[in-house]
Amino acid sequence: MKKIFILLFILSITSCEKDDICDKETTSRVVIEFYDNLLATNLKNLTSMSATADGFTNPYNVFSSSKIQLPLSTAADFTKYSLVLNSTDAVNLNQDFLQFNYTRKTIFVSRACGYKTVYQLDASNPFTLTDSDPTDGFWIKNIIIDNKTINNETETHVKIYF
Amino acid sequence: MKLRHMLKYIFSILFVLVSLNGIAQEVVKKDSIPPKVERYGVRFGVDLFKLGRSAFDKDYQGIEFVGDYRLTRKYYIAAELGNENKTTDEPQLNFTTKGSYVKAGFDYNAYENWLGMENMIYVGLRYGFSTFSQTLNSYKIYNSQPYLGSEQAIVTGEQFSGLTASWIEVVAGIKAEVFHNVYVGFSVRLNQLVSNKKPDNFDNLYIPGFNRTYDGSFGVGFNYTVSYFLPLYKSNVKAKVKEVKKKK
Repeated sequence: MKKIFILLFILSITSCEKDDICDKETTSRVVIEFYDNLLATNLKNLTSMSATADGFTNPYNVFSSSKIQLPLSTAADFTKYSLVLNSTDAVNLNQDFLQFNYTRKTIFVSRACGYKTVYQLDASNPFTLTDSDPTDGFWIKNIIIDNKTINNETETHVKIYF
Repeated sequence: MKLRHMLKYIFSILFVLVSLNGIAQEVVKKDSIPPKVERYGVRFGVDLFKLGRSAFDKDYQGIEFVGDYRLTRKYYIAAELGNENKTTDEPQLNFTTKGSYVKAGFDYNAYENWLGMENMIYVGLRYGFSTFSQTLNSYKIYNSQPYLGSEQAIVTGEQFSGLTASWIEVVAGIKAEVFHNVYVGFSVRLNQLVSNKKPDNFDNLYIPGFNRTYDGSFGVGFNYTVSYFLPLYKSNVKAKVKEVKKKK
């Protein structure tokens, strides 16, 4: 009897495996909707607009829809993108620089996710729009900030008219 | 004739003596059945698993003392007292938990021992309370879009102190006497948090005594103890008295 008990004790030493996968909403991208500048209520599809972060050679993506998401830096209080409309068309392409200015908050999510960044667009100066170096004019006509807090990707934060 | 009478006389005396002897022996036999006596006392011990882990795991220092007192034939008052210092390393987080805990409750021995044996197969209940601190050594920001560069671990060393938690623990285990008065025991525990004072912008992912927390308020634990029994008094088992009463 005692021997059985002792054997049971030795067999019973086990360890737990961690099996966590981050499945919660974490750091969100800025959600931008594009509208027709002539008919402000109408969404307008982009024509192969490439979005490249300042200092990068490869674009994050080339968009042809009216709603896009761009990642923001979790290490700096601003992120600058080069937005090139008609990027595949050497004659008609037009480059504008759009910089987002914000403050960051680090919020705890969970064991598997760790922390996430919540962005708060600057109240007085949420963005800076500049033209390309050899000027080609702005293709972006107007920008409206719809939501200053970037905490999820279900709502639209910025509306751009072109 | 005289001899025949004498033989008859001797035989009678022998017969009486033998009979008496037989009766006497029967009486002695009845007395020689010892009443079932069981020992009562306190048992002190230590969790061997925590000691062993402290020796081999550089991220863990912990100790747990266990004790019980035999209150009635089946019920034992039981308690655990411990201290832990554990560093948990997760892909996104690295934190150190330091604190002490106490668990108090009872065990019910469901095992019917043979004469002279004092083993236990038991179930029990505990109320646990822990006071501790968490130090967030480093963390990573989760970013599903690594376009702007992968996230680096950010070293903080931020400390969250004055944290507490309490829980209910259901225990099932065994204790066996391996040498005279020396017991080894193993128990598994299912925990349910009752209260949990969480730090601001962090969580109690590990609670001393409760162990790892999950998304809900559920937890598990176990210990592997060696303990020494200190007998204080003996008591007769009263079970047979009840039988006699029933017959009447």
